[in-house]
Amino acid sequence: MIDGLTDSLEKYMDLLSARQKVVASNIANVDTPGYKTKDLNFQAEFQAASYLNNPLPVEVPDLPVKNDGNNVSLDREARLLAENNLRFTLASVLIRSDLATIKSAINEGKTSA
Amino acid sequence: MSLLSALSVSASGMAAQRVRSELLVENIANSETTRTAEGGPYRRKDAVFSSTPVPSAFSSLLDEQMGSSLMGVTVAGVSVDTREPDRRYMPGHPDADKDGYVAMPRMNPAEDMVDLMSATRGYQANVSAISSVKDMIQRSIDILR
Amino acid sequence: MTGPITSINPIPNLAAIQPAGQSSEPGAFQSVLSGAIQTIESANQGATTAVQKFLTGENEELHTAALAVQKANLMFDLGLQVRNKVVDAYQQIMQMQM
Repeated sequence: MIDGLTDSLEKYMDLLSARQKVVASNIANVDTPGYKTKDLNFQAEFQAASYLNNPLPVEVPDLPVKNDGNNVSLDREARLLAENNLRFTLASVLIRSDLATIKSAINEGKTSA
Repeated sequence: MSLLSALSVSASGMAAQRVRSELLVENIANSETTRTAEGGPYRRKDAVFSSTPVPSAFSSLLDEQMGSSLMGVTVAGVSVDTREPDRRYMPGHPDADKDGYVAMPRMNPAEDMVDLMSATRGYQANVSAISSVKDMIQRSIDILR
Repeated sequence: MTGPITSINPIPNLAAIQPAGQSSEPGAFQSVLSGAIQTIESANQGATTAVQKFLTGENEELHTAALAVQKANLMFDLGLQVRNKVVDAYQQIMQMQM
């Protein structure tokens, strides 16, 4: 139970929170002229053997550019906001369930010590 | 730099959209104003946004030197319309010049209404971002329960 | 009346006492126990794999991973409770007066 899964989940949550920060930046800059949407290369960072504490954002290609040079799409950012939140919730619940199983093994399944 | 810094980013977005909304509302209210303190008709104002790194009380020196990639937004300035004002033929108006023309603000209130809706939408999006990030932070705290 | 001391009859040979628990085939209980542990372990492994697949995006289905994890947890809990009952039963037997 204390296997690589908890480490994987922690890394997953790290990357998700970094990605959510980038999404928040994009949303704040939805009306800034010349601002280009940023994102993280999630799968590449997740599967990398070691990752920087600050994964670098990359620009997102193929987004329509508005007249003032800004290419932030609120629909895309809203979708990512919801998706990152759900994945983060899932990872948190899985970690809690892992830790609860270990705890119950320590308590030998008895509710009163 | 934790997830909490994302809250500063979204807060900066909300502040900027609010400033923009205030300017747009001022434009709409003054769409027929012929007399201002600077003399002449009202000139349309707009907010100039620029993206800036978000400082935070908790960010470390290392973060600032590495160049935080989190860009908030600030209002860099207010741009005032410098075009020639409209001239409308209204003899008998107290501000009419010798030919009977009155200098009116060069504005399209419909355009400002649409911009106001867009600012509102941007503001709401920032509010959603804050709510979502707050939820994620709550989930992290839940691991301790 | 006293008589001459006669020799003591030798004690008949008893079979050497076998050490307890040693038999020629493995106890049925032992194999059941290791089989159960094996099942729990493989369910846990399956759950870990399912979650890893979800995280890396190989198998996108969330419910597969969630169900696998719940199943593994339930099997572990069940195994734990059975173990507790067995230990209790053993202790009760040990306390019985012979």
